[in-house]
Amino acid sequence: MQEPTFLILTALAAGAQHGYGIMTDVARISDGRVRLRAGTLYAALDRLKADGLVTGDKEEIVGGRLRRYYRITDEGTEELAAEVRRLRANAAVAASRLGLAGGTA
Amino acid sequence: MTRMGEIEGHCTGRPGAREKWYRWLLALYPRDHRREHAEEMVGVLLAAAGAALVPGPRPAAWALRLGQDTVDSADLIAGALRIRGRMTLKRIKRARWLSRTARDQRWRDALAVVSVVAPLLLLVAALAEFSIPQVAASSITGHPHWRLDTYISASDLPLAVGAPAVAVLALLRRRRSAALVAVATAIGLIVVEADPAIGGYASPAVAFSILLAGTAAAALQLSPGPERGLAVLTGRGAALVGAGGLILGGFSVGGIAWLGHQNPQLGFTSFNSEVAGLPADLLIAAVLVGMAVFCLRTPVSRRVLVLLAIPVLPYAFLWQEKLAGDLLGPLGAAPGVIPSTIPLLYLPPLILACLIVAGTRLARHRSAGRTRQVRSRAAPAGPRGAVRA
Repeated sequence: MQEPTFLILTALAAGAQHGYGIMTDVARISDGRVRLRAGTLYAALDRLKADGLVTGDKEEIVGGRLRRYYRITDEGTEELAAEVRRLRANAAVAASRLGLAGGTA
Repeated sequence: MTRMGEIEGHCTGRPGAREKWYRWLLALYPRDHRREHAEEMVGVLLAAAGAALVPGPRPAAWALRLGQDTVDSADLIAGALRIRGRMTLKRIKRARWLSRTARDQRWRDALAVVSVVAPLLLLVAALAEFSIPQVAASSITGHPHWRLDTYISASDLPLAVGAPAVAVLALLRRRRSAALVAVATAIGLIVVEADPAIGGYASPAVAFSILLAGTAAAALQLSPGPERGLAVLTGRGAALVGAGGLILGGFSVGGIAWLGHQNPQLGFTSFNSEVAGLPADLLIAAVLVGMAVFCLRTPVSRRVLVLLAIPVLPYAFLWQEKLAGDLLGPLGAAPGVIPSTIPLLYLPPLILACLIVAGTRLARHRSAGRTRQVRSRAAPAGPRGAVRA
């Protein structure tokens, strides 16, 4: 799973969000390291929707503009959980080999 | 009000230059995507642009905003390309007419045979670039002029590199890689021949090479591969194909192989009628007719004939030019020669390829209709059937 995908799913794991909310949340989660832009975000959302990992939620009009919310699906949650397990296992091995605290392997 | 709300509030009136620019860029997106997401994307873009505003000296802030706008614009374009690329891939996967065409066993076998023959002919065409078959032909006919041509120009490269690679990969059963290289060879030829000074697309030899590389690519991609092709080819068929390829290559592939240097006024010697004159014309015609007749025997070989006709159609122009030169004298003075033009060279093969696809689709629809009829007859006839039973 690519990092932007991982971060978008992570952002949505806390609850449904609109596009701009996802962008700001991703920046917050990654500590400002990943800054999604609209083109990248909507291309990713388009793909995630096609893959069934994300779906559209409610819509509202704010300031005369459409705001659409997105939420993670059950399949998306499973996919994200699997990725977390994979990353955690890899990180544990890496930490153990580096002799860092917290390594378990 | 949130930052987004503030920006949105500003933008509810007459759209500003930035919004217009974003909308203009959003036109790059597919219509369905635009209909669903354009409004929210504009809102997000304006909100992000507003959040990126940094107070400071005017030139610095202006430069920063310009940089942000440029990155946003590039990102929008990249996003549009990604979505369009994905849609195209999906469409290709969905439109399975190619694979359905190839699903017909007879077409699959025919394509498999062509996946053997086309790379072989392509290799012969490449060898002809270095006059290797011509030298062999000259040694047979006793012609003294042909020498091994070791000069490689840029226009020779696609064929000189691509054709052996296709043949070797096909031989090593790397079917898909061979198909990719064949596509690259066709594209390479199209690119290098774009310069009219080199000869351009109106040369029958160029048309032959481009269409042959394209046919090889299609056959390699859509068929089970050369292994199956060799299994389908009988010993006699393989011998005929080999002999045909060598004769066609030795005596004819490439304009120079037949016609010598075509401009004696510039001091070149015209080799008309010398390498292999009228007897070679008749031999080539006999080989082509012989192969065509041989191919009429079975449904698979008839399909092979149709597929090979795609690259061989421009070959007819080469042949009639040579025939006219051999019968009536130097090329420029030969009356009755049909001048090769791009529409004449490329349209008939294109029409033929379209007819193959359309014909197979029609046949498939008819076959599906017949299957439905048979199934409906075989199915229980409802209450009336029950009464009969």
